[in-house]
Amino acid sequence: MFPPVVADGIAYASAMALLACGITLIYMCTRTFNFAHASMATWGLFIVYTGVELYGGSPYYYFPFAFLFGGLLGAICYIWINGPLLRRRASEVTLMMSTLGYELILLSALQMYSDYLTLKFKLYPGLITLGTYDFRIFGIKAITVVSFVSAVGILTALHLFLVRTKFGIAIRATVENPPLANIIGINSEKVYITSWILGGGLASLGGAMISLVLTGSPVMGWTIIVTMFAASILGGLYSIYGGTLGGYLVGLAEYVGMSILAALVGPWILTYRPVVPLIIMCVALLVFPRGLAGIPWGSLLKLGRIFKGIRNKGSEGRGRVAKT
Amino acid sequence: MMPPFVYLIIHIMVEFSIFMIVTLSLNLEVGHTGIPQFGRVIAVIAGAFAVGAIPGRILAYMMGLPYGAEYAIYKYNYWVVDEISNKLAANVPLSITYFILSLLLAAVCGAAVGWLTSRPAIRLREAYLGISLLAFGDVLMWIGYNYEPLVGGSTATAVPDPFRWIWKYRFTVVSFVIVVIAFMMLLIVERLTKSPFGRTLKMLRDNELAATVFGKDIVKIRTRSLVIGSSIAAVAGALYVIYSGTCNAAAFTRLTWTFWPWAYMMLGGVGSNIGVVIGVLIFIIIRKLIVLYRFELAPYLPFDPIWLEYTLAGLAIILIVLFRPYGLLPEKPEPTIPPERIRELLEEIRKEEETEVQE
Repeated sequence: MFPPVVADGIAYASAMALLACGITLIYMCTRTFNFAHASMATWGLFIVYTGVELYGGSPYYYFPFAFLFGGLLGAICYIWINGPLLRRRASEVTLMMSTLGYELILLSALQMYSDYLTLKFKLYPGLITLGTYDFRIFGIKAITVVSFVSAVGILTALHLFLVRTKFGIAIRATVENPPLANIIGINSEKVYITSWILGGGLASLGGAMISLVLTGSPVMGWTIIVTMFAASILGGLYSIYGGTLGGYLVGLAEYVGMSILAALVGPWILTYRPVVPLIIMCVALLVFPRGLAGIPWGSLLKLGRIFKGIRNKGSEGRGRVAKT
Repeated sequence: MMPPFVYLIIHIMVEFSIFMIVTLSLNLEVGHTGIPQFGRVIAVIAGAFAVGAIPGRILAYMMGLPYGAEYAIYKYNYWVVDEISNKLAANVPLSITYFILSLLLAAVCGAAVGWLTSRPAIRLREAYLGISLLAFGDVLMWIGYNYEPLVGGSTATAVPDPFRWIWKYRFTVVSFVIVVIAFMMLLIVERLTKSPFGRTLKMLRDNELAATVFGKDIVKIRTRSLVIGSSIAAVAGALYVIYSGTCNAAAFTRLTWTFWPWAYMMLGGVGSNIGVVIGVLIFIIIRKLIVLYRFELAPYLPFDPIWLEYTLAGLAIILIVLFRPYGLLPEKPEPTIPPERIRELLEEIRKEEETEVQE
């Protein structure tokens, strides 16, 4: 059906989309570029790994636990580190550095935990191949189907949450203008902690999924973090749809694009695989400094005028109501 | 023979000196100019690769040894470099010229890379710029790691040793030279940041609009700061390569050459040169102590104590950011004229007032 590279590429890109989506969500709400995403993702992998090795069963049983644990890590980061700094109006670079400190602590905790696993249970977490526990659906690796379906499902759920529910609208209002949102009585604390819980959960879930495609180790997240950043920057950092699109583009370019290139140029180019997303990011940033979401897609597709017309009509109507 | 304790002290001094240079250059860009430089490793790699790849080849060409792509392949590299080092040992002036020219070459390459990174630095905003620089550093390391003809790829390349003629005391002399160069760098950076140029940098950092109003060209000043900072960091990379005698692409990770210097700088005080020196010293000593007592600690812990380094660094960053945002030794306001002169002027004004009152 699919060539295996494409199947793996879809799984990898879906996981990358979730990771980039998490980074974007946290950045949108709290202005924080989250370095700790790397080890949050790796903790997701370790939750699944511990579950599979010690309690048995399919890796998929432990995905919800990975999500919850990631949410917990995000909440801890907000309550103890990010929250106080946000209240003090720290600069973007300070916020970034604080998450780097958190990342180093999480990374060392991971390394200690993996040493402990080796010592106590004679496991070898330096080389985790969870892919062997995977099963097949209609001849395709299950992870391809599961990751694609869950990425699309989660994005749809997130979209509905942000557009349809009252709290989702409160989140968008806070992103647009925090002081104004506070004046109307929106509790921005609640918005911030929700973004961190969701972002952390998405990070761990993405990390758990990626472990079925890549070889896992305590530094897995640390090695792919730049790809995650590239994906989210490509998306523009201000729209979760942009983040998802960036994740898919970077992930597919890294897997599928590289195998096409290798067929054209020669296999030596495969060793430069991690460089590709970064080059895509650099080019994209030089051409569109605000990322994919910053491009005026509406007017490009000539839909802009129609949208504008509808919006103007709507505001006129509201204006009239207010006058009467 | 020296006791091992002295060796340890010298080793700490060397590491302290190299990281002091890197952190000072980082401080010049981050603390004084306000550029989110998350790609310090770029300039360090530029210096290290330049010294690892170019001077050795020139010497090999001069001495009639293989100098092409096969120079960097480990099978030939070790005997070629050993041959060069032996010939250098017999020719002291050539050794010294080689050493000085290598450092200059590294500085030039660093400046070139700094100029290149300054191009996006003018266009992009905070987080975008920081992450682009971070990504660019990874790209450079990855190219060095995979492209063998440059510095040997995944195998390290040996670098000709300009200090072999000292034979017995080589280690001590190299260390001493590095410490001296580091303190020269400290003086240069201190002088630079105290000069009108340094004050312009701070004005740019604190208020861009005000700087523009005063007729300062923001693009030019940012570019200059990046070029100077990068060439200083490149010298540190070159010193590290010459000190260790090998150029290993895998050693230039973003953790060691970008994130550790950031942690040192934040501990010491962003924008304060002396604070940065103290920050580096404290961090390096703690890290070395953890490595030293690793085996003593091991039986009491269910994991390798080396990971405590990371925990401590992370905790230090978080605690500083939360409780001492300006570091151990915060930046002081820069007086435009010497304090003695201000005191004299105040004294004069007071006297004048007194005479007026008496009249």
